[in-house]
Amino acid sequence: MRNLLNFLIRYNYWFLFVLLETASFVLLFRFNHYQQSVYFTSANVVAGKVYEISGGISSYFYLKSTNQDLLDRNIYLERQVSTLKKALKENQVDSLEIDRIANALGDNNKIFKAHVINNSLNQVDNYITLDKGSSDGIRPEMGVVGGGGVVGIVYMTSPKYSVVISVLNTKSSISCKIKGSEYFGYLKWEHGDSRYAYLKDLPRHAEFNLGDTVITSGYSNVFPEGIMVGTVDDMSDSNDGLSYLLKIKLATNFGRISDVRVISALGREEQTELEGRSVK
Amino acid sequence: MVTTYIHKFFWFSGLVLLQVLILNNVHIGGYATPFLYVYFILKFESGVSRNELMLWGFLLGFVIDTFSNTPGMNAAAAVLLAFVRPLFLGLFAPRDGLENVSPSFKSMGNSSFIKYLIACVFIHHMALLTIEFFSFTSASALLLRMVFSTLLTVTCIMAVEGVKK
Repeated sequence: MRNLLNFLIRYNYWFLFVLLETASFVLLFRFNHYQQSVYFTSANVVAGKVYEISGGISSYFYLKSTNQDLLDRNIYLERQVSTLKKALKENQVDSLEIDRIANALGDNNKIFKAHVINNSLNQVDNYITLDKGSSDGIRPEMGVVGGGGVVGIVYMTSPKYSVVISVLNTKSSISCKIKGSEYFGYLKWEHGDSRYAYLKDLPRHAEFNLGDTVITSGYSNVFPEGIMVGTVDDMSDSNDGLSYLLKIKLATNFGRISDVRVISALGREEQTELEGRSVK
Repeated sequence: MVTTYIHKFFWFSGLVLLQVLILNNVHIGGYATPFLYVYFILKFESGVSRNELMLWGFLLGFVIDTFSNTPGMNAAAAVLLAFVRPLFLGLFAPRDGLENVSPSFKSMGNSSFIKYLIACVFIHHMALLTIEFFSFTSASALLLRMVFSTLLTVTCIMAVEGVKK
């Protein structure tokens, strides 16, 4: 007992030291938000880790019922897929449409929905007005696509509206190719019938058949590659005899377009700038 | 006896004011801040009891903390410094031992006094800055601050010693 007392007396400064340090740290944690938050965070890290481990273990016990659920879901989805496939086969034109949307939705393109509020067919130069404008993100030279296929190219925008040069416009010229071959030409409308346009500058050695599908080539970067334009209806030689002149039956029925999509191809400025520089 | 306490009181207030008004705003290169107030503890007579020195240290740190809105940090570091000071004093003091004198170039000899300063100041800064950072994620920044602040504080103390002479 005496030894213990002696010991305590001899090392009393240790007690004072611990006491004072404790007081300091109480102050530290009581009044400093940073230390307080770190303290509680580290405590939470421990708790979080414990819960994570326990969750990882207990999840094994539910594997069987999870498996059963997945199997049921799988069967249901497989049935759905087969039904959809059947529906697709019955409607070939629509399958093209689906392809095209899937293509257009590629990571390089942004799509805006718009509604046609004004349209004309019988002028020499036809324009379409849309109810979306620059405030919705639409810019000149974006491509416009309807339910059937290509509709035109955005010409001017105001904050709320935009004017589209329709395919049925002598200024319009869209780079196209025959699906399945890489031969390309450009699409021109020679006023008159709103159902037909002409594909020009297709080389003479190009191989194709009447009824072949014509799609956008993607070269101009206004439209992504593979958007439906129409089908080859008739063929003749161009005036100079160096290339074909194909009569194209347009896939879009310009008489009744109402809802269209505007496609913004990202990186277009870059391509245009580069091409402009190379011309200089 | 009374005169020594009055003397200490003036040093205490002077160092606190110097620290909180001027030196706390010094951040040379974003790393070095002098904590000159430890000079008060370092200059205590060698014969003072540990308990008394620790109480002084706590009081000093607490006052500094109150001024700089960091409750507990300087107090903890100063108490630690007061606790280990007799150890370093014994380590670096000349063999024949010190009587009840204040450590200085004259009483300890140049190299011993500098070693004593560096050891004490480094311990104090290590404690203080570790508490301030409260994590070792930026260990290199912490270490740089410790080293440069120690150098700066030691330089300041030697300057004060030089002026007093």
